[in-house]
Amino acid sequence: MTTLAAAAGTEAAPEPAEASGPRRSFGRYLAGKVLGALGSLLFVLVVNFFLFRVLPGDPARSLTRGRVVSKEQMDAFREQYGLDQPLAQQFLTYLKNTAQGDLGVSIRYNVPVSELIVDRMWPTIALVGVSTLLATVIGVYLGMVSAWRRGGGFDRFSTGITLTLYSMPEWWLGLLLIAGLSVGFGPLPGIFPTGGLNSIDADPSSLSGMLDSAWHLTLPVITLTLAYLAEYSLIMRSSLLDELGENYLTTARAKGLRDVEVRRRHAVPNALLPTTTLAALNIGFVVSGAITIETIFSIPGLGLLSYEALSIPDYDVLQGTFLLASGAVIVANLVANLIYGVLDPRVRT
Amino acid sequence: MAADDDTFTVAILDEVDSFNPFNGYQAASYEAWALMYDFMVGYTMEDMSPAPALATEWETSDDGLTWTFDIREGVTWSDGEPLTAHDIAYTYTRILDGGPEAGNWGTYLTSVETATAPDDTTVVLELEKPNAVLPLLPIPILPEHVWKDVDEKDVKSYRNEPDGGPVVGSGPFRLVEGTAGGSSYVFEANPGYWRGAPHVDRVAFVVYKSEDPAIQAIIKGEVDFVDDITPIQVESLQNREGIHAQNGISPYFEEIAFNVGAVDPESGEPLGDGNPALQDPAFRYALGYALDLDRIVEAAYQGAAEPGTTFIPSAYGSFRWEPPEDLAFTFDLDKAGELLDEAGYTMGDDGLRTMPDGSPIGTLRLFARSEEERSQTVMEFFQEWLGEIGIEAEVSVMESNQLTDVVLEGNFDAFHWGWFVEPDPDAILSVFLCDARGGSSDSWYCNEEYDRLYESQNAEVDDAKRIETIKQMQEIIYRDAPYLVVAYTTYGQAVRTDRFACFQPQPDPGGVLLVQYGSFNYTLLRPADEAGDCDGIESAVGASSTSGEDDESSNTVLIIGGAALAVLLVGGVVVALRRRSTADARE
Amino acid sequence: MSTTSPPLSARQIARRRRTAAWRRNWALFRGHRAGLVGLCILAVFVVVALAAPLLADGEGLKVTKATGGVLESPSGEFWLGTDESGRSVLTMLIWGTRISLLVGLLATAISMVIGTVVGLVAGFFEGWTSRLLYRLTEWFLVIPFLPLAIILAVVLGRSLLNIAIVIGVTSWPATALLIRSQTLSIKERPYLERARVLGAGRWHQMTRHVLPNVMPMVFANTTLTVAVAILSETTLSFLGLGDPGRVSWGSMLEGAFGVGAMTTGSWWYIVPPGICVVLVVLAFTLIGQALEEVFNPRLRER
Repeated sequence: MTTLAAAAGTEAAPEPAEASGPRRSFGRYLAGKVLGALGSLLFVLVVNFFLFRVLPGDPARSLTRGRVVSKEQMDAFREQYGLDQPLAQQFLTYLKNTAQGDLGVSIRYNVPVSELIVDRMWPTIALVGVSTLLATVIGVYLGMVSAWRRGGGFDRFSTGITLTLYSMPEWWLGLLLIAGLSVGFGPLPGIFPTGGLNSIDADPSSLSGMLDSAWHLTLPVITLTLAYLAEYSLIMRSSLLDELGENYLTTARAKGLRDVEVRRRHAVPNALLPTTTLAALNIGFVVSGAITIETIFSIPGLGLLSYEALSIPDYDVLQGTFLLASGAVIVANLVANLIYGVLDPRVRT
Repeated sequence: MAADDDTFTVAILDEVDSFNPFNGYQAASYEAWALMYDFMVGYTMEDMSPAPALATEWETSDDGLTWTFDIREGVTWSDGEPLTAHDIAYTYTRILDGGPEAGNWGTYLTSVETATAPDDTTVVLELEKPNAVLPLLPIPILPEHVWKDVDEKDVKSYRNEPDGGPVVGSGPFRLVEGTAGGSSYVFEANPGYWRGAPHVDRVAFVVYKSEDPAIQAIIKGEVDFVDDITPIQVESLQNREGIHAQNGISPYFEEIAFNVGAVDPESGEPLGDGNPALQDPAFRYALGYALDLDRIVEAAYQGAAEPGTTFIPSAYGSFRWEPPEDLAFTFDLDKAGELLDEAGYTMGDDGLRTMPDGSPIGTLRLFARSEEERSQTVMEFFQEWLGEIGIEAEVSVMESNQLTDVVLEGNFDAFHWGWFVEPDPDAILSVFLCDARGGSSDSWYCNEEYDRLYESQNAEVDDAKRIETIKQMQEIIYRDAPYLVVAYTTYGQAVRTDRFACFQPQPDPGGVLLVQYGSFNYTLLRPADEAGDCDGIESAVGASSTSGEDDESSNTVLIIGGAALAVLLVGGVVVALRRRSTADARE
Repeated sequence: MSTTSPPLSARQIARRRRTAAWRRNWALFRGHRAGLVGLCILAVFVVVALAAPLLADGEGLKVTKATGGVLESPSGEFWLGTDESGRSVLTMLIWGTRISLLVGLLATAISMVIGTVVGLVAGFFEGWTSRLLYRLTEWFLVIPFLPLAIILAVVLGRSLLNIAIVIGVTSWPATALLIRSQTLSIKERPYLERARVLGAGRWHQMTRHVLPNVMPMVFANTTLTVAVAILSETTLSFLGLGDPGRVSWGSMLEGAFGVGAMTTGSWWYIVPPGICVVLVVLAFTLIGQALEEVFNPRLRER
């Protein structure tokens, strides 16, 4: 679903063709985009706070669940985290603190949220970063070859597979991969670890420890790569086909350029635009995409952190991760738009 | 990828949320503290009754107001400093002083006024009034020379994690690696432990976010122990060679609780919209005959539970009251009907029972928790049997968070939940107090007679008399039925007996192998080839040579899954092929 | 030609033209094999969903009426084995089809209505309403979908309708943007210019000219959105946020994962629901793509 949600984003990127007024300069375009991004950020800040306050439940109770706790202890708990304050007061405190870069303290871990996020960020970045990279490269390549040999055996094969992968919940694919490659297959023992980020005896800061982590991340990365590459490939294929239908290519061909060159110089760079946007946007979907995969592979990343915080509810952690995720999408969106503006002057008109 | 022989690796399903005993809440944290620290008084393996630990002996004055503990000599902290009575008094005093330290442990020291150490080997507790919970105090004893530098206002942010060296403790193991919320924690053996050096070099906890990967990890030998697994998983592991899997008795019961009349704890005004029929003890008691507990245990708990009666689980034999035959519930819908008829809830013309005044009872709202699938199953059975005795009911499922709100607002008729019962029943007894309403009470039960008995047991120093009172209290609750105890649950665990041996169950027999009260098994367990007679403990789960057929099941999943995947992919290709033919046709 | 037949009213002409257009499009769609395959797969599932009471006894979904053992493997009695409560997996799969399709369609309907209205208004009108709506769409687009959906699901509570609302409310911005850009381009077309000059009101322009023209795109987009919605339902149910009282494919997979079907080797519990999801989503995707090509001449030419 991440993939599809992100695909929706691509439609936003080439959108800014505001047809009114004289041609705007790049400077104005830039300023407009940055302002828009700031507006989005503000919106997210507000939504962020109130969204989580309407969550049912009381952290003081859910943390002491199943054990007998006196009312005084519960009150002390609430006072400590400012949960006894009126909502408006809490909101002001939240705005002030966020402005100062203070994301609050996790109710569950008693650790500053920023610290927690930094701790949990790396597995997620590694997981999503590597799979996005792989998926983009493989997907773009598949899409390119497919489009170029449209209707050929390769195209049929690749389109069939990517469409099927696209229709698959990524965690279901992950489950099947775990059953196959981690648990073991016939006489072959399971190759990959079943979950987690590193072996017990490995020191994560040493080279062998990093290799060990990489080994643990292999299967989740494969899963996410397969899940993401489908849409890169489909998008690349269709935008390249679009480009190939454009008149200027015919002109280029008529000018005597060879097919290969037409492809390399004109069609591919233009078709890459939507794909790049998609890649940029996917980075913002770090948390979304990571939630299910981190859950089934037991990876201590941001996705798992926020999902688990929900059941308490650990407000500050939820706000922090949500802000980070939305912020990442906003920034990625902005970057994608700027790249677009630079590469394709048409959108600036 | 298998861990080396000298590391005993445990898969846990929830992280340690803090290594600071004043902060954490998760079960894994309690287990970590038990490894790192000692209690003043420990627990026996047989029935979790008090056993010597740091204190070798203790006595109480005749009025029950002064307790004197003799503290073991020669115990040292892992940094070489001696552990004395002063450390114990210091730890307790910090809790008695209130503040964040009181959060986790304050209740154990209720009515204790001062904790002092007149000399290195004596701890004296002065009480305001007798406290029956003593001498059991499951409070980790902390080193004064380390913690005196941790100010009260910094306690909440003090992480107590390795910083250049292991965390200073006195337990059989000490923390050398890991941070709260992390995915693994490593503890190193304390060779100078007063109970004797552990037989393994290291204990490691690895966090698995879901059960299945943990199960696969033990099958592959990545971990040596898995904790908190389902009965179905236990069954699937039981046939495997080199693995011992079991459902251990755990002191946990699950009940159907009724809204016996919610009131505002401040004003005493009625609260919420509970069904008036349930305010009548006779009505509630009659419903006890409409529960086929054997069927529920079979269908909802997969057989891995014991049908319940009173709220003190069978694990604690001495405090437990067994309902006599004429009182004990059986599954007897006719009897339930008779009792309801007697109480005036007669059958109306529409096949539904009515209130004594003839008005309809309405539909009872039964709540189940979404976290546990069995919760919904239990309530669906209950709903069905209620229907058979002419009472309408509906089941709704919600998160326990949300259910807590509903219960506190009194907007329910019944729900399914459970309590963990400590070796001393005082805490669970307090759940039915009038004063607990709006707090830990979830049935809104209130009975002055019960309250009076609670006070008297709490102050009773004579064990036999106290037990008598506690049994009386259980009978009151059984007859008034704010709770219908459904089952005493078990706790699934599995261990690689081909790698490690010597796990004594607690309670013995039938109990859990780890996550016990105290850390005894961590000093007892050893590599399988050195098991011997496990220090003569016959009940210990020893080296196993159970032969079981190699389970092919996972391969089946793979083969079928792989085949499915292949079919789908091929299908996709075929579709694409067809698509191509259309493309051709159009060109 | 009979002279007595009255001249066709504008409305009749429009209707005829529309019928002809539909016919032409259907002919185009028929030529699109992948779309037809999708349609066939979908037809099978729709039949299963509608005929569920005939195919399997609905009582079989009740835990209290379960007759099988715990996780029994497929047999003559239970073609696809049983779940952890002894219910027939096949029965659950058949009835699950209903819920999965229903939630998918309901969510899509919600998403379409919001998306189309916002997109039309934002594209057609000028001034601050339009700007505000456009911004709002952009803002919603930057909120990560899954976390937002999870939170809404927790807040609203777990029911069939709520999960459809959650998916609908979180998935409309893409549609809105698509409709807006379509509207913008239609607005510039000469015949609208003419209509304006002739004094057509905004309402008239929008309902008579813009809406009919964007409808085909909405339709194609709808089919694709159903695919997304079904995937979303599966994922939310897998995360334990589905309607606990009903069986859907996602909730079956949640159950399977929860009891460790991979370890116990209960493939019959974990593989079939996943395949059903893939097939239905694939079917909707294929149909949607085919429709897009039918309605968008530019795409058709390639």
